[in-house]
Amino acid sequence: MMQLSYLDYSAVEGKSWLHRLPAIVKMVGAGFSLCGVVFLENLPGLLGLYTVLLFLFVTSRVPRAIFSLTLYPLIFAFLFIFVSGFQIRFILLIFLKVLCGSTSVVLLLATTPYPAVFRVLGKVLPSLFVTALFLTYRSVFILLDTLEETRHALYLRGGFQWQHPWRSLVNIANAFGHLILKGIDASERMYESMVLRGFEGKIRYRGEKNRD
Amino acid sequence: MSHIHLPDGVLPLWLWVSGYALAILISAILFRFRKKDFMTKRFPLLGMMAATMVLGAAVEIIPIAYHVNLTVISGILLGPSLIFLATFVVNVILALFGHGGVTVVGLNTIVLSLEGILGYLLFRLFWKIFRRLTPAAFLATFLALLVSTFAMIGTVALGTTHYEALIHHEEEGGILGFELGREKKEHLEAEPKGHEVNLRRFMTIALSLGFIGWVLEGVMTTLILKYIQRLRPDLLRLEGHSP
Repeated sequence: MMQLSYLDYSAVEGKSWLHRLPAIVKMVGAGFSLCGVVFLENLPGLLGLYTVLLFLFVTSRVPRAIFSLTLYPLIFAFLFIFVSGFQIRFILLIFLKVLCGSTSVVLLLATTPYPAVFRVLGKVLPSLFVTALFLTYRSVFILLDTLEETRHALYLRGGFQWQHPWRSLVNIANAFGHLILKGIDASERMYESMVLRGFEGKIRYRGEKNRD
Repeated sequence: MSHIHLPDGVLPLWLWVSGYALAILISAILFRFRKKDFMTKRFPLLGMMAATMVLGAAVEIIPIAYHVNLTVISGILLGPSLIFLATFVVNVILALFGHGGVTVVGLNTIVLSLEGILGYLLFRLFWKIFRRLTPAAFLATFLALLVSTFAMIGTVALGTTHYEALIHHEEEGGILGFELGREKKEHLEAEPKGHEVNLRRFMTIALSLGFIGWVLEGVMTTLILKYIQRLRPDLLRLEGHSP
């Protein structure tokens, strides 16, 4: 999650051919890729899809550090090793599905600024939902800054130590409590500034016509 | 543990489509009767709480593959109708990073919002009974997580035939997995028994790791709520509690 701001930086500052493509084209592409993940049920097909995605990743010159984000969902896939009764083919199938899904989405977000993504979504989804999605995504960045400060404070107060589990748990809970309260304060300030800028329940993006 | 971490393409089509349909239907009913002004004012808080849930879910406790959901706290602070939208949004963002598939968002929303709404209701109930934050918060979180974990296991169990079909799928069966249900069943019946999805094993793992997680999240939620009660008691809107 810490790499989220790096992802955003790559989306805004990148100059590759994939960065220059319209957001709608990339979103349709990601949609097709997800359809492939849902319906492909054989290893060569998924391997082919993953190869194409890796090729796009390399040619779009997305920073390599972001690649680790595509591997993160594998943590959750490990349970399938036990569920399947150690069937290698099934495990590989699941791992490839996970990798194809995450790579296509990370590729989309690393080459498209998030307001552009939300602008396209706003045309097809209810404004209530898109506004909530936009504010949450924005709030993640605000909270990440607070989390960074809180981590320093937590470290100074002992952080997490296995030899003192209770004290560590209290420290972590206080850090989350602090994060929530800071977040609520920030949300109140954010609401005031949004109202000052004319917010009436729907976020409007640059170039969008007022149809109300 | 109650968050369904299944990737795309593992659950049967009818199941995840039903999940989406039900989630959309509940959202439509919930927000049909909400005033626009109420929503506009609460949007930033909803965004912040949803973002906190996203960050909580990103902190993985590796040995037990568990992450805190913070759904009960969010439910208590946001209320039952907003927690539904918040979990929907959280699941979409998590799915974008491969934390559960995009197709599982609807089902995850139902399971997690059940946790949030139940947490909210149980917290109010236990507060009325005990008049003390610690037992009310811990019991509400523990029970809400217990119920939602069973809801998750039930949801996963509904797709067992599909997982077995995935395990037994033959390489020469074509690139896409479109097979008629009857043929699939006949094919499965012909396979030896030892290659079936072990749902009991999954349930044992989920419940045993889940139990550690429920206790951990129960303690965490209680400590966080105590912290909030100390600094901003108004946020908890507790009856008969003077700050």
